[in-house]
Amino acid sequence: MELLTRFTFVSACLFAEWAVTFIAVANCSISPSEMNGDSALKLPSAVIPVSQKSTLGSFYSLSLSSTFPEDLEVNEYCTELLRIYGQRYVTFANCLVTYARPVRVCQNCYTGFNSLEDIYKNISFDKSAPGNVSCHDSLMRSDRLMLLYTLFIKLDEIWTSAECKQCLNEDQDALSNDTLYFMATLNQSLSCFEQYQRNHTELCKDCKTSYKRLNEVYGRMEKNQMLCIDLEDAMNMTQHLWSKNFRCLLPREETVPVIAVSSFMLFLPIIFYLSSFLHSEQKKRKLIHPKRVKSSSSLMNIQDKFS
Amino acid sequence: MANISKKVSWSGRGDDRGERTPLLNGAEDGKYNRHVLNFVFQSLDYDNSENQLFLEEERRMSHMGFRCLETRRWVICGLIGFLTGLIACLIDIAVEKLAGYKYSAVKQNIEKFTEFGGLSISLILWAVLNSAFVMVGAIAVAFFEPFAAGSGIPQIKCYLNGVKIPRVVRLKTLAIKVFGVICSVAGGLAVGKEGPMIHSGAVVAAGVSQGRSTSLKKDFKIFEYFRRDTEKRDFVSAGAAAGVSAAFGAPVGGVLFSLEEGASFWNQMLTWRIFFASMISTFTLNFFLSIYHGKPGELSSPGLINFGRFDSDSVQYNLYEIPLFIIMGALGGVLGALFNVINYWLTIFRIRYIHRPCLQVMEAMLVAAVTATVSFAMIYFSNDCQPLGQDNTEEYSLQLFCADGEYNSMATAFFNTPERSVRSLFHNPPGSYNPLTLGVFTLAYFVLAVWTYGLTVSAGVFIPSLLIGAAWGRLFGILLSTITSSQSIWADPGKYALIGAAAQLGGIVRMTLSLTVILVEATGSVTYGFPIMLVLMTAKIVGDYFIEGLYDVHIKLQSVPFLHWEAPPTSHWLTAREVMSSPVTCFNRVEKVGRIVDVLSNTSTNHNGFPVVILSFLQPGKICGLILRSQLIVLLKHKVFVERASSRLSHRKLQLKDFRDAYPRFPPIQSIHVSQDERECMMDLTEFMNPTPYTVPQETSLPRVFKLFRALGLRHLVVVDNENRVVGLVTRKDLARYHLGKDGLEELHLAQT
Repeated sequence: MELLTRFTFVSACLFAEWAVTFIAVANCSISPSEMNGDSALKLPSAVIPVSQKSTLGSFYSLSLSSTFPEDLEVNEYCTELLRIYGQRYVTFANCLVTYARPVRVCQNCYTGFNSLEDIYKNISFDKSAPGNVSCHDSLMRSDRLMLLYTLFIKLDEIWTSAECKQCLNEDQDALSNDTLYFMATLNQSLSCFEQYQRNHTELCKDCKTSYKRLNEVYGRMEKNQMLCIDLEDAMNMTQHLWSKNFRCLLPREETVPVIAVSSFMLFLPIIFYLSSFLHSEQKKRKLIHPKRVKSSSSLMNIQDKFS
Repeated sequence: MANISKKVSWSGRGDDRGERTPLLNGAEDGKYNRHVLNFVFQSLDYDNSENQLFLEEERRMSHMGFRCLETRRWVICGLIGFLTGLIACLIDIAVEKLAGYKYSAVKQNIEKFTEFGGLSISLILWAVLNSAFVMVGAIAVAFFEPFAAGSGIPQIKCYLNGVKIPRVVRLKTLAIKVFGVICSVAGGLAVGKEGPMIHSGAVVAAGVSQGRSTSLKKDFKIFEYFRRDTEKRDFVSAGAAAGVSAAFGAPVGGVLFSLEEGASFWNQMLTWRIFFASMISTFTLNFFLSIYHGKPGELSSPGLINFGRFDSDSVQYNLYEIPLFIIMGALGGVLGALFNVINYWLTIFRIRYIHRPCLQVMEAMLVAAVTATVSFAMIYFSNDCQPLGQDNTEEYSLQLFCADGEYNSMATAFFNTPERSVRSLFHNPPGSYNPLTLGVFTLAYFVLAVWTYGLTVSAGVFIPSLLIGAAWGRLFGILLSTITSSQSIWADPGKYALIGAAAQLGGIVRMTLSLTVILVEATGSVTYGFPIMLVLMTAKIVGDYFIEGLYDVHIKLQSVPFLHWEAPPTSHWLTAREVMSSPVTCFNRVEKVGRIVDVLSNTSTNHNGFPVVILSFLQPGKICGLILRSQLIVLLKHKVFVERASSRLSHRKLQLKDFRDAYPRFPPIQSIHVSQDERECMMDLTEFMNPTPYTVPQETSLPRVFKLFRALGLRHLVVVDNENRVVGLVTRKDLARYHLGKDGLEELHLAQT
């Protein structure tokens, strides 16, 4: 019943929950292929409306009532693994949603991810399971949906594209020192911004040093590939604050010298072409008169043909 | 009525024929006339001379020998492809590295000065760096090998047409070309490296197939059989194809390029060999680039040599877009014609006034400096800021006065090598560019590209054309999406950039078949074949209405006797009698050495082929063969005189090999010493002359003669009367001087520079 209570609370986990319920259904619906056709056809129609109602109790009662042979049932050990997987999945997904905006997922959810990864690995490398069928096969590869796999892979993709691993230390169990240092620098800048909230010109001048240092730290980390989505997002927001909200832009002051140098440069070719036009001697060509039959009259010949 | 229409069709203008001569376009001696044929250009000897030596050699050769020959041809084609790919790889990497150093230096400088002031110094730094690169390249070209200037495509086109352009396929030219193109692309000029790649491929082919280098004075003693114009030219067409395929990653496009632009004489086995060379070249380049990019062996890795793929869903097109594409094609034709006209006048000015090497170098440097200045000014005054992309495709993004986390969008177009700019115009997501930015960029780049082409640097026009077209094409796409309310249909301006690029390039170079395939292959999208083809056709039709293609313009300005596909229309009334040169300098079958030497030494005529006639009291004599200057020179050098024959018995007989050894640089006649005694000797030409030259009667029409030249690759065509007596000789220059002008058929003059 623990699952059910959570379900009512966390709307974001609906998807995951649904999946957990459905995995058992899916599991059931493939096994009849090895049984006689009648019950295989009946079973899904009986199960699906139940799962849509999401009432776990009646589902269990129904599944108990269907008669699977002993060896096709998911054994208890695997069911336990499945339950743990579901719990951890929900915890992690919950964490992701909670820290979605502003992005803080790497800082806050790495424990969740690690535990989820552990249980997933447990299931997929499970060899020591009691009974004939390993949990890996019975839970993950029994149907075409392969839900446990797909669910994990999706989250793993999110985790990879967030590049959270770059912000964590080597064991992936804590934030790395660089990340902590960056966050300290960021906080300095932000507190400076706080201080001068009223006067933007003052802010641009006085917070410049801390902001510049932040930029430097960020640039260095970018070069070393130590950024994750948290830091990128934080930096993005800070930059937006700095440039758009406080309008600390660089002034375009040098228009006159740039125009002067440019027009000087553009003037050079004109001088060049004029001088070469005036001073350079023209190249001459000597025409050659080839030998022709009655060369002077060949023209007349053509003229004759015209008329 | 009939009379008038006849007049119009012949001369294009009716009544004032009496006042003006219809055929000569009014040029007097001394006055510069741009429409002339240059005297120095010679033809290739594509037609094989079937003299007795040749027959003997063929008889000696076994069946196995011919098999080996065929195998050797394939090996050579493979080598051509491999070496061309290597050179392309070298150019690619060198340009990337040098441009990388330059841009990162300038970028650092700009970043430093944006904050503290002094951006005019960055401007000067950029201009100086550009000029320095270009200066090195221009000095190499102007002082060491002027034939390496430009894209090289006009020259290769002429070579494949059958004109021997001096020094165009030498190793030295290749070295200068490669060096020059690296300098000019790294120097930030509005140029590309594709045209020079084609030239490089051709030079590689000419060198490899000969198995030696006369520039290095090294003879590897291999492939000696191929030392004659026929074979060499076939290999050069393979080399040009390999060059195209390495430049664009388009092997089929390369073959078609060779077919369309070059080889007038074509056979199936040659096509297949050329394709082989192209394929090898593309994949050699891919292989080495994959090593360079740290993924050795991944031959299919995309983005190694092309403009990126168009295969996402957002770049689909629909039937109703076809009219739009055709409109863009017409626009491209007009803009291309404008490009060519401006460049034409500029080139004339350059030929007249800027012909000294130091002036040429200065001009190139100035263009480089101005290019940098214009780019900088554009970037400086641009207010178009865009947020940094997710995957950060711009390698040298400039922030300048943009907000933190944003970059200057003008800088992605200007502060980059042209090839990368094309790629970003094709593929950057919608909204990466402001319409204003694109408009200004198109205008500025158009002017720069027109100005740049024809400088004394080795550089091509493909990429700048694509870039101009991509810019206005993208602009077109953006405007479409703003004027129509439904955003989704016109969503991606990238495809319009592609179509615009095709239209602009087609409008400038006027290639059709090969360009379609090249673009399809370079963008990896067969589905775009149809619109690209339509666009190129439209661009060609519209552009041809104003002026011919850029390469043809330059061929004309270089006064090359170029034979087009067909004889000019309305020329059927001209007969061989009017076209030929006469009287002809003939030799007797057994001729006095003194006379031969005198004729050959006559610099004012500089003939290359001499009909051999049977000695008779009638003038002119009956024809019995044709002998070439090069053969006579070899004969004189070996002193094959009748009087020496008895004493030469111990010597070996002259073989075809002796002629091949002297090829392709036969010594001038002045370097051959002939003593007074020897002048009195006689020379028997029977064995060496071509006993069956092509002849035509005097009444043959010009188109008929033209067809013979074009289809057989002739160099000399003897005109005979009804008793087989030589009355005249037709050469390439006699044919090429006729062309269709505004006032009907016009005749060009021969001139000596």
